[in-house]
Amino acid sequence: MMTRTALPRRTFLRGLGAAVALPWLESMTSAAVPKPPVRMGFVYVPNGMDVRNWNLDYEGKLGQLSRIMKPLEPLRDEVTVLSNLTHNNGRALLDGAGDHGRCCGSYLTGIQPKKSATDIHVGISCDQIVANAIGNQTRFPSLELGMEDSRQAGDCDSGYSCAYTNNLAWRGETQPLPPVLDPRAMFERLFGVDAGLSSEDRARRNRFRKSILDFVSDDTRKLQQDLGPTDRRKLDEYLSSIREIERQLERAEKDNAQINPGMSQPYGVPADFAEHFKLMTDMLTVALQSDMSRVFTFLVTREGTSRSYREIGIADGHHPLTHHRNDPALMEKVSQINTYHVQQFAGWVEKLKSIKEGDGSLLDNCMIVYGAGLNDGNRHNHEDLPTLLVGRGGNAFKPGRRIVSRRETPMSNLFLTMMDRMNVPVENFGDSTGRLSGLNLG
Amino acid sequence: MYAIALALSALAVDPATYDRVVKPLLGKSCVPCHNERNASASLNLAPFQSHTSLAQGRDEWERILPKIRSGEMPPKGMPRPALQDVQALLQYVKLEFDKADALVKPDPGRVTARRLNRNEYSNTVRDLLAVDFRADRDFPTDDSGHGFDNIADVLTMSPILMEKYIRGAERISARAIGADPLPKKPMEAEYHSKDKNIQRVDRSTIEASHRVEWDAEYLIRIGLPGERSADSPPVKMGFWMDGKLLHTMSVETKPSKLVYFNPYSEEEFRLVLPEGDHVFRAGFIDDPFVKTLPDKEAYSDKKNKFLNMIKFLGPFPAKVEKASRKKILTCEPAVAGCTEKILTGLARRAYRRPVNKAEVASLLRFVDVARKEGQNPEQSLQLAIQAMLVSPHFLFRIERDPTDRAKVHPVTEVELASRLSYFLWTSMPDDELLGLAEAGKLRAGLDAQVKRMLADPRSAAFAANFAGQWLETRNLDSVKPDPVKFAVWGPELREAMRSETNLFFEHILRENRPMAEFLDGPYTFLNERLAKHYGIEGVTGPDFRKVELTTNQRGGILSHASVLTVSSYPTRTSSVIRGKYILQNVLGVPPPPPPPDVPPLNEESVGTTASLRKQMEAHRSNPTCASCHNRMDTLGFGLENYDAIGRWRDVDGKFPIDVSGAFPNGKSFDTPAKMRELLKDDLPEFARCLTEKMLTFALGRGLEKYDRKTVESITSKLASQGYPFQSMVFEIAHSLPFQSRRGEASLPVQKQETAKK
Repeated sequence: MMTRTALPRRTFLRGLGAAVALPWLESMTSAAVPKPPVRMGFVYVPNGMDVRNWNLDYEGKLGQLSRIMKPLEPLRDEVTVLSNLTHNNGRALLDGAGDHGRCCGSYLTGIQPKKSATDIHVGISCDQIVANAIGNQTRFPSLELGMEDSRQAGDCDSGYSCAYTNNLAWRGETQPLPPVLDPRAMFERLFGVDAGLSSEDRARRNRFRKSILDFVSDDTRKLQQDLGPTDRRKLDEYLSSIREIERQLERAEKDNAQINPGMSQPYGVPADFAEHFKLMTDMLTVALQSDMSRVFTFLVTREGTSRSYREIGIADGHHPLTHHRNDPALMEKVSQINTYHVQQFAGWVEKLKSIKEGDGSLLDNCMIVYGAGLNDGNRHNHEDLPTLLVGRGGNAFKPGRRIVSRRETPMSNLFLTMMDRMNVPVENFGDSTGRLSGLNLG
Repeated sequence: MYAIALALSALAVDPATYDRVVKPLLGKSCVPCHNERNASASLNLAPFQSHTSLAQGRDEWERILPKIRSGEMPPKGMPRPALQDVQALLQYVKLEFDKADALVKPDPGRVTARRLNRNEYSNTVRDLLAVDFRADRDFPTDDSGHGFDNIADVLTMSPILMEKYIRGAERISARAIGADPLPKKPMEAEYHSKDKNIQRVDRSTIEASHRVEWDAEYLIRIGLPGERSADSPPVKMGFWMDGKLLHTMSVETKPSKLVYFNPYSEEEFRLVLPEGDHVFRAGFIDDPFVKTLPDKEAYSDKKNKFLNMIKFLGPFPAKVEKASRKKILTCEPAVAGCTEKILTGLARRAYRRPVNKAEVASLLRFVDVARKEGQNPEQSLQLAIQAMLVSPHFLFRIERDPTDRAKVHPVTEVELASRLSYFLWTSMPDDELLGLAEAGKLRAGLDAQVKRMLADPRSAAFAANFAGQWLETRNLDSVKPDPVKFAVWGPELREAMRSETNLFFEHILRENRPMAEFLDGPYTFLNERLAKHYGIEGVTGPDFRKVELTTNQRGGILSHASVLTVSSYPTRTSSVIRGKYILQNVLGVPPPPPPPDVPPLNEESVGTTASLRKQMEAHRSNPTCASCHNRMDTLGFGLENYDAIGRWRDVDGKFPIDVSGAFPNGKSFDTPAKMRELLKDDLPEFARCLTEKMLTFALGRGLEKYDRKTVESITSKLASQGYPFQSMVFEIAHSLPFQSRRGEASLPVQKQETAKK
């Protein structure tokens, strides 16, 4: 029921789409304007960083930024530079080689991945803990994005399954969530391919879908009774995926509005890195803005990737370059790639900032980690991981600073603090030793 | 491990023999570097001076033996043990292992319920419904393990994949039956050079990516600006979809005599196109004229006739009935009993096993559901097919265990039929295979079926999926050679490279050639594009054919441009990657990963101030690196005559290529051909490597200790017959792990490693 209260509804929506229906704005018709929700996200870049050009030599208020962070300089009041965060579980710890596989597998889980090409096993990732707790409030509990198709053949890293480097989010200990890579697939997922259907046709299709899902889940449960534990677990993954789709369908019934993203459906995967990045983040922006999801992970490219960057004149593969044997020419190229990534990210942060939401911007209500799972890609070390946090997490953090934690502070401590901010407090996570100090306001 | 230990103790290794044959050699030649204080390669061999190591250190022994056998260890510069002592040690240890293995209880291992991967899904849909659906373009990437993407344990399920399965099933069933109406008005999509949405492949070929929204007929129009001289002959124009030639027609190129300021003509034709994303190409076939034009006249409409536009107009209802409808609609769905008949047949094939009445009834329910919603009989059948395609019986290959799950038992013949078809066809069993299995006659006629399956064109999927991953040629899709250094690189060359290796593999397989031909077969498969790349004369046109090689520049997979390209950096060759490639994919002894922080190599100066080889040699003077790199680099340098996209070369930059090297056994070579010749000495290692990989692929699981016996028995049979390649497939099909399975104990094993909250 709409009342005639003149709420600045449109002011939330400037930016991409024109008429975006915000489910949580329905309550705007009540007296109090609700606070916009907080969003949590992770943007992961591979192969560590050229830390010579990443590190800052001062603490506290951000002034001049390092060469790689430079593109963020106009936005430095939105950025917190975090130093000395470590993933001990990315280290070998008797498991030998495979730092690339391990650092990605442990990044959001805080757990040392099991070294195996097939028996994959790590922990549930922090984004999924949050998605499980609050995901029922949005159409998608979480969104997983990426930009690089996984390596097609050969081994991934020294006995670690490709599952560890192809995925960031883990729904369970053995269930990774694959990222969507193709902008068109992302568009279809978020904004529907069936925009041409009448609402009647769409409703009928959803009824059909539901009855099919009922049928297959019954069938699966019957089938499971006769199976051994591992097979049963496989089918559990299938069943829980069905339940998630059923939930989405129910939600879609309540909230039948189609979101107009204010862009046309993209075609295929752009060859140009910046264009691909922009398409993915444009859609992600609409998804966050219209509260389709509050949690996301973005695996920019894969750990150990050999992608080359013709866009900036670099014909060599990223990973081979990071093993630069201290050759200045190669190190320079690594810095250029690192900077290029930050440049794309900065463009997106700028956009998030330009979108008004409540009394501030969409960015204010976000907390997005931008980081790498290795410190120096040549040395494969796991301490002082290059980490930025952008946004204020809904007026919880005070950015514009560099916070230097005690050496060897677990990265998991940061995640605990972020989960608190999502109202999903957890006692321990991964190898956490407590909350990350110095981040919160006051 | 435990079982082996028991077995050995039962047989009681005679410590005296061990102390005589093994201990002194180890103590003198190995332990000085591999001991508690100085464990080179993380290997401490001090405990191996006791006979108990045969049982307790089997894994390490398996790593050590090939190194001793090849002469790689002890390394150059260390005192060499007498040859007969080495032989005695090798023989003795092998004998003990054989004795131990003979006592191990045969264990076929366990395969987890396997979700169809993207290729299996696409092929199964093709064979079940005659619908061409490209799951690889739509579904998330399948994770892989042990180098293959059909490993049951890592084929996980996620909500996003489930979404795709549901949408996929909707589209596939709709396309199969085609009962939903097409849009009333046709639509137009134009790709034009002026809009920069076509690509020029060459002077008379253009290409556009286009999504066909409906299976239907389309009117296709090609824009042809320009004209050639008055005596120009007509040219043949072709139209391709995803590399397949769909249509040809003759096009006039001489002036039309109509007065035009800008000469221009259009040609049009109608084609039935399948739904999905496709790459369309239009171009003149065999058009020698354009090659004679100078650059500035190539797109001059006074001098040349060329192409600049592809336009699609449609959809229109196709006049020919769809193959899928012919296949599925064996009766009229409106007639009583027909839907049941159709669904009974389809479900059996989709679930790849006999189905019972209740299962058919549960599918028929959807026909009722749809009818109640006002759908017509064909649309209602469509909904039932949709449900079938999301069923776990379709999406998973599930093998059932008897009540006593942990007991080793043969898989049923029906399960065996699927094992065979997904192994050799990456698809479902056909009627013959399933029929034999249901009648209980498959095992008895196994060899005949394997033979038939290999001869069937569907076995091309085995080359594409097994060889494509074993030889890593699938990575041709992701490699990006530097366009400045390698201007000739492009989709056409890439596809030609892929075809060469696939055809070569298929040939050795189908003709049952000896495996040695993988290493140096004096023939290959070429089309004009690739022949030119290789500098081989006399091959014209786009079709591939078998070509006997007249020089020894090439021969075998290690001289295929595909292999040489995927084992290179974008800008240059890498002796390290190529060496590793050979160790891993040919000899089956992958080197350990490099330590971080390797000392510098001056990249920019490669080819300018010092040859890559000189630099690598300096790099190798570091003893820690040398132990692995000696072997790796020797092999890699043996291929230096091929550049980073596999072209032959005699110099790299300013430096003459030097491929010479010596194997650990002292034999030396100075050309790639001679190196290949020497590699044939390692045929047993190659056969073992390939057997392990193929068995992994066939079973969909990683190999375990208990599989050693299977691998051993397959390779020794192959050896006795001179390594005919097909025999490997037959032997695997007959092997214990392929023929039988062991379930898990019924009690669920709780995983304990849960994140402790």
